[in-house]
Amino acid sequence: MNTIVSIRHLSKIYGAGETEVRALDDVSLDIETGEFLALMGPSGSGKSTLLHIIAGIDRPTEGECHVQGVDVAKLNESELADWRNQNVGFIFQTFNLIPVLTAAENVELPLLLTTLSASRRGEMVTAALDLVGLSDRAHHLPKQLSGGQEQRVAIARAIVTDPNLIVADEPTGNLDAHSAEAVLEILRALSCEVGKTVIMVTHDPRAASQGTRSLHLEKGRLLAERAVQGAV
Amino acid sequence: MSLGGFIIKNALRNKRRSFLTVGSVAISLFLFVTLQVAIREMTIPPEDVSASLRIAVRNKISLANPLPARQLPVISRLPGVAAVTPFTFFGGKFKDDESLGFAQFAVDPEKFLQLFGEAKIPADQLEEWKRARDSCIVGKDTAKRYGLKAGDRVTLVGTIYPVDLQLHIAGIYEGTIDDTNMWFHQKYLDEAMKNWGQVGMWWLRAENAEVVPDLLRRINASFANTSAEVRAETERAFQMSFVSMWGNISLLINSICTVVVFTLALVTASTMSMAIRERFRELAVLKALGFRRHQLVACILAESFGLAFTGAVIGIGGAAILFSSGKFAFFPVFELTPRIAALAFLIGGLLGIISMLAPAWSVSRMSVVEGLKTLD
Repeated sequence: MNTIVSIRHLSKIYGAGETEVRALDDVSLDIETGEFLALMGPSGSGKSTLLHIIAGIDRPTEGECHVQGVDVAKLNESELADWRNQNVGFIFQTFNLIPVLTAAENVELPLLLTTLSASRRGEMVTAALDLVGLSDRAHHLPKQLSGGQEQRVAIARAIVTDPNLIVADEPTGNLDAHSAEAVLEILRALSCEVGKTVIMVTHDPRAASQGTRSLHLEKGRLLAERAVQGAV
Repeated sequence: MSLGGFIIKNALRNKRRSFLTVGSVAISLFLFVTLQVAIREMTIPPEDVSASLRIAVRNKISLANPLPARQLPVISRLPGVAAVTPFTFFGGKFKDDESLGFAQFAVDPEKFLQLFGEAKIPADQLEEWKRARDSCIVGKDTAKRYGLKAGDRVTLVGTIYPVDLQLHIAGIYEGTIDDTNMWFHQKYLDEAMKNWGQVGMWWLRAENAEVVPDLLRRINASFANTSAEVRAETERAFQMSFVSMWGNISLLINSICTVVVFTLALVTASTMSMAIRERFRELAVLKALGFRRHQLVACILAESFGLAFTGAVIGIGGAAILFSSGKFAFFPVFELTPRIAALAFLIGGLLGIISMLAPAWSVSRMSVVEGLKTLD
């Protein structure tokens, strides 16, 4: 397997002096292509910070974070925006769909930044919605969807540009057990069947058990690593 | 979906707020345009050829002080004078009007068309006016407003002079810059006033533009050190001095315009700021999805500009339609000029942009992580 994410001596410090908070403290980590990695830990342990740095929406204070060979910390704002659009799919706990856009339009959003034709964009949106089983809800507004359906739309939005890396910040945190199971099943399929690398932050051990590996952070440091047997 | 469609959907996401924003811009710019048109109306100089030859002669003390009728032969004999007529503002009320509905002037009908050659009136009606001392002619705008026609009898109730005048309408004229006035015989007013020997002003026409400066000097000199010294001035200078009698109304109106625009800017900025603040997290998500800083700023500026420009189109377009319908009889030429319309559109556009500058700045500086936390 190839290493898609390579992190070395990564630290993130917020504030200075007496208010200084060390969110990440000398973290080193490799993530292989196609892995479904669960990041676990108590609140404030730094798992979301680590996810944000890997996804290129936050910058480390020290250390290096290479994703697909690119040191994301060294990209400028515009380069980082383009890089995220092409390489990272985001899934959030609260779905974060645009309420005035239909499911299909929400999924199409990342494609508006490309030079693809409208018809090609339409094909890609349909394929993404098909993949999450929501092609029949394409023209529904978010408020007309259940929480589980909203999150599946968010997954379709995350994969529509065909990124290699999908980051999910507590994707099941706002869902009932049944919907959470469906979402985790999709993420697992993306990892196992499509070969996407999925990094998921979660508090839920059952969700983490769906991954191929789980990492535990506490006070900004990696504590333990556990391979999930039989997950794949 | 296109980026333009995305912007439009965002602009209309809160329909009530969008409607109120567009409405406030529309009403404010309508008011702005109306005030600007009013200023122009009051200060517009006469530009026709006849106006460059016309000279107004008034009492040096003030416009309200009359002049002695005996000045006529003195002025008439001055070299360069082509025609001269008394010109007395009567200021009567007509019908049930609570205030002056239109202006009435006593003149010499024989000289009227020599001074105001742009007035068009059928020859038979002009002859009838010249023949009948108790007749008058009425501008077509006033005739239309009151449903008057040749042959009608009207009564003017004096508010300045202690007499009421019974007049019959000899004809309807048009073609002047102000087709609202009524003109009647000075001699008829003299009779009603028991030959009082006074006129309001003198208006005269110079033979050509070259003699005007010398003529002005000669007229003033002719009555220097008399009981009724005069001030002779060109029509344009007279009009400007007449406007100045209103006080610095232009400054007042411009001040109101400034306050209107400034208040509108504050209201729009507040609304737009609120609209963006509510969507901070969405904008952070867009950033995470790959939207660049300048793309987000362009989107929200386009949204704000679109709302402001829509308001401008409604406000300015409404004013244009209303003013072109001729409903503003108080002003003879209530015209929305391209310059005023362009200025109003410019203000509307700038409002849209300026009101969004602060939110756009915040969005451009917002980190994705901070933005995502705003709804957590």
